[in-house]
Amino acid sequence: MARIQLENVKKSFGKVQALNGINIDVKDKEFFVLFGPAGAGKTTILNCIAGINLPEEGMVRFNGEVVNLVDPAHRNVAMVFENYALYPQMTVYDNMAAALRSNLYKTDEETIKEKVHAAARMMKMENLLERLPSQLSNGQKQRVAMGRALVRTPNVFLMDEPLAHLDAKLRNAMRTELKEMQANLGSTCIYVTHDFMEAMALGDRIAIINKGEIVQIGSGDEIYYMPCNEFVAQLMGDPQINILPGEIKESGKGYEFCFQANGQKLAVPMPEEKALFQNIRRAGLKETDMGLRPQNVKYSFTPKEGYFKTTVYSYESIGNKSVIMADCGDYQLRMIAPNGLKIQIDQEIYVSLEVDHSMFFDPQTKEYVSRYDEESIRAFAVEQEVR
Amino acid sequence: MAGLTLKHVFKRYENSGKKKQQKNDFAVKDLNLLCEQGEFVALLGPSGCGKTTTLRMIAGLEEITDGEIYIGERLVNNLHPKDRNIGLAFEDYAMYPPLNVYGNVAFNLRAKGVDKGEIDKRVREIAPLMQIDDILDKMPVKLSGGQKQRVNIARAIIREPELLLMDEPLSHLDGKARQSMRVEIKRLINKIKCTTIYVTHDQLEAMSLADKIAIINFGVLQQFGTPSEVYDDPVNEFVASFIGEPPMNILETTIIKDDGTFFFTFQNSNLKIAVPSRYYSVVSDGFRCKMGVRPMDVLVGGEDSKGTPEEIATFENLGDERRIGIRVGDMLLMLITEDEKRYRSGDIIKLEVREEKTHLFDIETGNRIREQG
Repeated sequence: MARIQLENVKKSFGKVQALNGINIDVKDKEFFVLFGPAGAGKTTILNCIAGINLPEEGMVRFNGEVVNLVDPAHRNVAMVFENYALYPQMTVYDNMAAALRSNLYKTDEETIKEKVHAAARMMKMENLLERLPSQLSNGQKQRVAMGRALVRTPNVFLMDEPLAHLDAKLRNAMRTELKEMQANLGSTCIYVTHDFMEAMALGDRIAIINKGEIVQIGSGDEIYYMPCNEFVAQLMGDPQINILPGEIKESGKGYEFCFQANGQKLAVPMPEEKALFQNIRRAGLKETDMGLRPQNVKYSFTPKEGYFKTTVYSYESIGNKSVIMADCGDYQLRMIAPNGLKIQIDQEIYVSLEVDHSMFFDPQTKEYVSRYDEESIRAFAVEQEVR
Repeated sequence: MAGLTLKHVFKRYENSGKKKQQKNDFAVKDLNLLCEQGEFVALLGPSGCGKTTTLRMIAGLEEITDGEIYIGERLVNNLHPKDRNIGLAFEDYAMYPPLNVYGNVAFNLRAKGVDKGEIDKRVREIAPLMQIDDILDKMPVKLSGGQKQRVNIARAIIREPELLLMDEPLSHLDGKARQSMRVEIKRLINKIKCTTIYVTHDQLEAMSLADKIAIINFGVLQQFGTPSEVYDDPVNEFVASFIGEPPMNILETTIIKDDGTFFFTFQNSNLKIAVPSRYYSVVSDGFRCKMGVRPMDVLVGGEDSKGTPEEIATFENLGDERRIGIRVGDMLLMLITEDEKRYRSGDIIKLEVREEKTHLFDIETGNRIREQG
């Protein structure tokens, strides 16, 4: 197993700059997730580590050693792809043994048998060894692809959206299994996904990639609670975070957040928090974008103190819960509600913001400025790392 | 506007000599469906279940082996697709590339010989509804996926069809565009109040859009009901595990009687869950079946909880919520919590189950076992 480092890695395809100076340092035994929208450069990073793509600039290091000029076969990496890539004419056993039988490893059949069976046991597919890929379900195929990666002791597992092809039920099950397996193996794993739940569930750390650059690196909690800009805030969380443009104004002793909804001017008092107000003052912001997650917006169907009136834009179930979108003219406010409510589109609804869970962004640069409870969130992140 | 009725509809593809075909005789088997006027009905099921075949039979693109299809009061079995007065929107957009958006939307009306002024009036009416008024002079190649799909739907509804048929119209779009299109489609259908049949394999799409969902598996209708009916009151194991994310926990169990009370027990596990008393008339000591419970209905008990102490096998922090997996024999019981606490695998929690929310399924057939009376 190995520590994997990328230093200022650049790669372009023709005129397109796919990677623009990537720096990452993946610790030994870490589960490291590369997360971002389609076309961000996630797979290109993986290919640079595997040696499939050669960066034009920068270094790729395995355990400190530069491997830029080492060909893929000799880097000892194990790759798992979205489309399994199994040999159709070989049984599961032979598929798993193929790498060990190659000229590079030339392992004796006795050892191969041992290793294949050990990997099969770990992937819970000992009963499938004699089957051909065509006789397997998609979930089983992906298991074989992973099992094949397990028979060797690679420096690092590189996984490119291995669960993307599976149906929801199987994806859930495999996700939990994968995390258990990696913990048991104590292996370094770099995992590409565009699914935020996978990124959160699997990653010890997550790197957010966009347009060939790293936007933020941190634990799931750090990125969820303190996203470095609005783009990251919107990526993390389903339904998406609400971004409300507004202004922070002094009123009497305290402050209030002033914003507009359907043309009405509204103000909500901001609970006192010294550190937050200091940070906002230091940033010199008057106008600000407030980020508030849908679970921190409350609703009522009757008028209520501290709630403002608006109408329902949509109501839809997202599985175990539902989302109400309230129409605020230029934008819509998302909030969480239970399933099965009797709601008509365009009916009246009263909405309140739990400001003490909000975060603030610079409306020009869209960069993160500060949030409520920042100190305790930082402390919590440190504590998590120690554990 | 009209409703849609399917009576004992069968579809069998001519046997091409493959063995597989004999096993899976009918693509659609004895399908009965009644969609009220203005209703939004989703046909939901895994790939190959016959949902698209059903849609194509309604459209008239596929012959019916047996049965009757009515649009409103009209029997349409032998009507040509163009005479059925339906609007179609498919997964791939199939636009006329040399025509701009306006031309594409107007095409069907022009072909019908509707006069120019009338066409223009209708296009101008529908364009703001579908939010395509600012792209009317663009060519199809210049459009994003979401825009193409909006044009596609505009084209289907401009003819004011009695019935709107859509086949996975969102599956080409990425996550964000999909979410916002879902909301737009729902608002649109709510406005035009057109009877709509919508094919999808995505339970979330069906749950969020439809007034009623028809769940199909192997060509057979499993359940037809509102989203909350299929979620809260599934007729069998297939429906129970197909609806909901994460899916319902379904565990094999042996029911035992202890001091007059029935309990679910599980192989190689000390977990014991009381059987709701309404099932007492249908269970007995040693009764084997499957127990189903949604992850939302399994809870982490507090300090003084009487729940069973269990070791956490998996812990997933998803930001908005956290998921905990508990080993029950060789099965995994998932639960969802919005509690902020971060656990690790190996931690012990007190497990509580909302007993009244458990379902029983037959171990062989997967059918729901219901309380009597």
